[in-house]
Amino acid sequence: MNDGLFDQFKEWYEKRHDYARDWKARTGGQVVATMCTYTPEELLIAAGMLPVRVLGAHEPQNVTEPHIFGMFCPFCRDSLAQGLLGRFDYAEGVTLTQSCIQYRQAYSSWRQNVPTVQWDYYVAMPNDVQSPHSRKAHYAEIQQFRVFLQTLTGKTLTDDMLRDALAVMDENRRLLRELFDYRKADEPKVTGVEALYASITAQFIDKREHNEVLRKVLAALPARKVTRPTGARFMTIGSENDDVSFMAMVESVGATIVIDDQCSGTRYFWNASKNDDDVIKAIAERYCDRPACPTKDYPAHTRFDHVLNLAKEYKVQAAVFLQQKFCDPHEGDYPDLKRHLEANGIPTLFLEFDITNPIGPFRIRIEAMLETLSEEELF
Amino acid sequence: MNAGIDEAKLATATPEKKEFWRWQENTWYDETKNWKDAKIITCGIDVGSVSSQAVLVCDGELYGYNSMRTGNNSPDSAKNALQGIMDKIGMKLEDINYVVGTGYGRVNVPFAHKAITEIACHARGANYMGGNQVRTILDMGGQDCKAIHCDEKGKVTNFLMNDKCAAGTGRGMEVISDLMQIPIAELGPRSFDVETEPEAVSSICVVFAKSEALGLLKAGYTKNMVIAAYCQAMAERVVSLLERIGVEEGFFITGGIAKNPGVVKRIERLLGIKQVDTKIDSQIAGALGAALFGYTLMQKQATKA
Repeated sequence: MNDGLFDQFKEWYEKRHDYARDWKARTGGQVVATMCTYTPEELLIAAGMLPVRVLGAHEPQNVTEPHIFGMFCPFCRDSLAQGLLGRFDYAEGVTLTQSCIQYRQAYSSWRQNVPTVQWDYYVAMPNDVQSPHSRKAHYAEIQQFRVFLQTLTGKTLTDDMLRDALAVMDENRRLLRELFDYRKADEPKVTGVEALYASITAQFIDKREHNEVLRKVLAALPARKVTRPTGARFMTIGSENDDVSFMAMVESVGATIVIDDQCSGTRYFWNASKNDDDVIKAIAERYCDRPACPTKDYPAHTRFDHVLNLAKEYKVQAAVFLQQKFCDPHEGDYPDLKRHLEANGIPTLFLEFDITNPIGPFRIRIEAMLETLSEEELF
Repeated sequence: MNAGIDEAKLATATPEKKEFWRWQENTWYDETKNWKDAKIITCGIDVGSVSSQAVLVCDGELYGYNSMRTGNNSPDSAKNALQGIMDKIGMKLEDINYVVGTGYGRVNVPFAHKAITEIACHARGANYMGGNQVRTILDMGGQDCKAIHCDEKGKVTNFLMNDKCAAGTGRGMEVISDLMQIPIAELGPRSFDVETEPEAVSSICVVFAKSEALGLLKAGYTKNMVIAAYCQAMAERVVSLLERIGVEEGFFITGGIAKNPGVVKRIERLLGIKQVDTKIDSQIAGALGAALFGYTLMQKQATKA
């Protein structure tokens, strides 16, 4: 659908470093490189900063081997490479909120070896978010992060400032949910590539600007004409994925990606905060309650039913696991999640993702999957 | 130190080097039939990474084929493969009702009416070659390897492919053939001409094959033992792929390596089951499946009309 409706998101994605530099020049604010979508961005926004999620560049690199192992996941290696290569030289700060150990080491190497880093902060979010004790602990961690930012900037982060930031974040989440709702239709008005551009850019663009563009797109969508066949309805599952060329390939061979369970997509924005007089509690609990990453999904596997419900709600015909090579948390979930989906009538395909991906061989697998869904005409 | 290998020769390329890897290109057609009697003629063209095949199917039955090495571009490989069989039987392109392209070059077959993946085509071809009992197919191709499950009609129900690395595929066997200076067709039989079955080689990486082979020869392996160790490693690799998807009775192997008993028998030994036999060249399974799909599509078109 070449109507240019999502061009702003695409441009932001492709020129994200230029955007951050420009934002800094025009606002005078600090830019913070954030690792992991559990980062409580509300606090950074309240402090007048721009949180910019670290993404890879999908290019071969040779700079991370001295710092982290080659058997760490490609996303960790590619993310660290971007820091070491100076691509985030505009960012004063770097933060990580605890998720997996590989990412933690990538963060440690970043803060030690990226020379432009002026400050760093590690939010020690508990992984066992299902425990009431952990929720209390996370509340304390968020409070501590607030104190750190106040000391750093020399300014008080009032409850009102935090509430404003939370409202902006929640509005962004609500608008993205509204956008994704369009993908439920039999002929979705939003493709998987477009949805990815919208959700991934929310992770590094000023949320107020992002909200404005989302509103414009949402206002134009009711009149949008669908000019492409939907084909088979696919879901993607995995950790981070911003491999646009892969998504475009899938949508060029007879499929539409209608929903995802990825931290580059729905897991980032799916739930808003709950009303609470205590704004720190509202922020902290929102992250404990969000659709879980496998690192934070035990003892109960809440993720399995959440993924299945998404699949049903969006009428998914097949699910594609985009497994980052060596990502232990996701690989650990894979066998049971695959069984869970297949037992409920949703066939699955497993693809192993690396820093760069072989689009040709992946295309064969995607096309073969499509043929298994619609081969009847051949027999 | 070792038996029967000239290491200096092995380590450096010789100017008049014979191409030991070169497998037999061949053309066949059913001389008991005349294609001019057929109502519907369909063609499947499989442009693979190493070999290309053109198969002709007359009224749903295999009539003839041509199998040759893939050239440096897919359209020419497709044309040459088809021309090879058409020249033998006096057929022209316009005599063919429907053409289906498959293989990695499937979208570059200039005269194809449709492209279908080799996964679907190998399952359909195996169903024809081995009968409707076939449920698990192992396609051992030039640069990849696929494990496929299908139903009694040859419809794919599940599949897995090897990831990226070409170790344990046809190209790897060609490299070993050249390194050992033994014609590729002799590798299988010679791999059994050993007193004791050696352990599998530790690395079947195509790039490191040379140093691995030299290491084994230095350790006192004969050429046949080296080949046996490679065949065993290749069998173990594909069996691990098969085990991820599960092997059901009615096991069938397609692709060029199906012609290598050194690998096939070791796979059977590891799995504890025998493959379903066929008299048809295993390398044409993909193109055959494509031609059969073409026939079905033609029949359906005729019904609609």
